[in-house]
Amino acid sequence: MKKTILIAALTVLGASVFAQKKTTTSATINFDATTKLDALPKAENKTAVAAIDTKKGTIAFEALIKGFNFSNPMMQEHFNSAKWMDSEKNPSATFKGKITNPADVKFTTDGTYNANVEGDLTIHGITQPVKTTATLIVKANAINAVSSFTIKLDDYKLSNAGGKLDNETKIAIAADFK
Amino acid sequence: MINRKKLFKRIFITCLVLVLGGAGVVWFLFTKTFQDTANVKADYIVNALAFLQEYKANDTLANKKYAEKIISVNGRVSSVEHADTTLNVKMEDSTGAYIIFAFQQKDLAAIKKIKEGDAVSIKGSCNGGTYSQILETVYIAFKRCSLNK
Repeated sequence: MKKTILIAALTVLGASVFAQKKTTTSATINFDATTKLDALPKAENKTAVAAIDTKKGTIAFEALIKGFNFSNPMMQEHFNSAKWMDSEKNPSATFKGKITNPADVKFTTDGTYNANVEGDLTIHGITQPVKTTATLIVKANAINAVSSFTIKLDDYKLSNAGGKLDNETKIAIAADFK
Repeated sequence: MINRKKLFKRIFITCLVLVLGGAGVVWFLFTKTFQDTANVKADYIVNALAFLQEYKANDTLANKKYAEKIISVNGRVSSVEHADTTLNVKMEDSTGAYIIFAFQQKDLAAIKKIKEGDAVSIKGSCNGGTYSQILETVYIAFKRCSLNK
């Protein structure tokens, strides 16, 4: 009887310690479309939701478009307007992808790993494939992930305002999964 | 002849005033930054749990009412989370639905003193709320928050 209880307890403990789905509600996403003509179109969202499934190697992000904070009120208003992101109609941006080199990432061993990530990024109601790399730091059963890549505004039917915005917009992501 | 000269002078001065005025307006709009949230009057003052309940009942209606408004939320801290180099405060109900607050840089020193279980009042710009497909729960997010004294 005692042995059964001990095994059950260890199973529960093991499941919680090595839970395969790790999440965060405070992932950060930086958006930078600045050019020499315009230094204002850059923003940060600090309240994105993200998850990583260490067994399946899947990664997902969700961010409210209205959660992007600009320094300039006019730029923020334009970003959310019907002429640009149309955040009333398309309130969220999402990413759903997976690690394509799972053998190179050991989620059960502390260390720094380079992961190749592929997935679908949906912005402005348009979904496009994205390929990027991410640095994953596994430490004490938590995972810190950082990644950066560029998107083409054209691909998401977003205007570059006659060259004032960089069509090759930079996206940087950071997340602490627990 | 003199009248014509005067007329041209008036036109020139009017144009100059309009150009300078327009440039001033453009300069003002492009260099303007958000006001410190601590100095902005809240459009609504809500209790965290009741606020979450309102969103769970109908997030479309709630977003129409609260999104992009300045709101003061009174509630108990369920956790303080790292958001890259800064900190976010979270208030959660018994079902896992939550409100998350991202702060102004100037408020970070005060946030570092906040602990789980503290009763706090936070004012910020509401991003709106939605159902998270990832977490399978409703959440409401805020930006540019300030801790009410």
